Amino acid sequence: MLGLGIESTAHTFSCAIIEKRGKKGKILSDIRKIYRPEEGEGIHPREASRHHIGHSSQVLSDCLQEANVTVNDLDIVSYAAGPGLGPCLRVGAVVARSLSSYYKIPIYPVNHAIGHIELGKLLTGATNPLVLLVSGGHTMLLAFLNKQWRVFGETLDITLGQLLDQFGRSIGFASPCGKNIEELASTSSNYVTLPYSVKGNDVSFSGLLSATKSVATKSKVDACYSLQETAFAMISEAVERALSFTRKKELMIVGGVAANKRLSEMLKDVCKRHGCKFFVVPLQYAGDCGSQICWTGLLESQIKSGVELKDTFVTQSWRLDSVKVNY
Amino acid sequence: MKLVKKGAEADLYQTKWQNSKAILKIRKIKTYRNSLLDSKIRKQRTIKESQMLSLVKSFGIPAPLVYFVNLDKTSITMQEISGKPVHDLSELKIIELSKDIGKLVGTLHKNGVMHGDLTTSNFILHQNTVFVIDFGLSQISIKPEDHAVDLRLIKEILNSAHAKIMISSWKNFLNGYKSIVGHAYYTKITKLVSEIESRGRYAQVV
Repeated sequence: MLGLGIESTAHTFSCAIIEKRGKKGKILSDIRKIYRPEEGEGIHPREASRHHIGHSSQVLSDCLQEANVTVNDLDIVSYAAGPGLGPCLRVGAVVARSLSSYYKIPIYPVNHAIGHIELGKLLTGATNPLVLLVSGGHTMLLAFLNKQWRVFGETLDITLGQLLDQFGRSIGFASPCGKNIEELASTSSNYVTLPYSVKGNDVSFSGLLSATKSVATKSKVDACYSLQETAFAMISEAVERALSFTRKKELMIVGGVAANKRLSEMLKDVCKRHGCKFFVVPLQYAGDCGSQICWTGLLESQIKSGVELKDTFVTQSWRLDSVKVNY
Repeated sequence: MKLVKKGAEADLYQTKWQNSKAILKIRKIKTYRNSLLDSKIRKQRTIKESQMLSLVKSFGIPAPLVYFVNLDKTSITMQEISGKPVHDLSELKIIELSKDIGKLVGTLHKNGVMHGDLTTSNFILHQNTVFVIDFGLSQISIKPEDHAVDLRLIKEILNSAHAKIMISSWKNFLNGYKSIVGHAYYTKITKLVSEIESRGRYAQVV
């Protein structure tokens, strides 16, 4: 089975082709174009969608070329239908619909967050993990139960990605700022006390964001270090709580912030204490990409025959715990 | 000493305190945390938990007795409550006990205490009485918002770990809660719970 997946939920426009054989999948190509806002600014939905429109046909043809296939070889096409930014989501949906209607290829709307998880499972080999999904759009702890991903903990306000980005922008970095903050943080070891807010398995970051901004007026370096130490310790504690509550023996971390080394290091330590296997999605596939969407679409195609064109929706707020998973 | 449980926050050992069975709860160093932050958290929670265990007993919440606190080792020696956590009981039993849990949470809130970690593992059924444990994240608070956070957490746990019986156990919990705090306060808190949920990421926006 050959699938094409289209991702356009936020700053990334990406197309990918995966060949599925039984339970195995091989990524033939994964091409991305990322919208970069100016320094100190965040994603402007309209500008991002214009960026996606401008690059969509080039990305698609590069993707086909690299995989060495033609549109006619494709068995299915899937697109990220949410959650994400409305204008951006529509770009991917339009590309998918055009291909589907012109070439008569079955089409599948896919939940972006589930895409992160499914590709993570494919690439890491985790079978029944507690999942930590940390990105610009999500900070969630999930476990699979009765055909649905269930939320065991999440952020009560902003996500870990937003926390890093919003702080990073306030000191002049351009989104995504995680890498810059990590680099700056590694040069300090001076911990300044910041608000630490764990509520059961849930976390809250908004107070931490304001407090870190005020520390940054004295020292940017200490602020970055203390921010990472505090926020990641909160996440690690929530993970520990969820691990001990669900008694899972695997932890998988997916999403853009999975690329952060300090966070992985902390979580590795947590796993060691709980005798649990640690999986982290390969760096290249941590952020948003077409492969996530493509693989999930391929999984869905095992049990469903695609949707009618009139049912190819996009939804800005589509929670992953509302999706029934039957494959 | 026998290790009984490796919890998220602390390790629990079975021990003796003046000839009666006891539990030693030690909050061990977490090497992943910055050491300054770590020792602060462990000290604070040890103090908080021991104070709160004594306080809640004063208004009739079944909770373990504190025998001894060692701040240097961030450990608490307390009465052992034998029995199963509600989490491990049968579905029917959990539905039934949800009402008792609702009453206990209502009583805590009425007396200005927020538990902070309301999961089904933190209630133990001991000789037909439900005991409340693990007060490490608790706070003295009469703020309705804090009480609502408590309710949201247990709702989340029912919705995830006990998804099959969520509807009936949540209903029972709310009935128990209402019977203690009264109709007016109950309405206020449940409204706040919906508000908190709507602030969540990608919540159904009405």
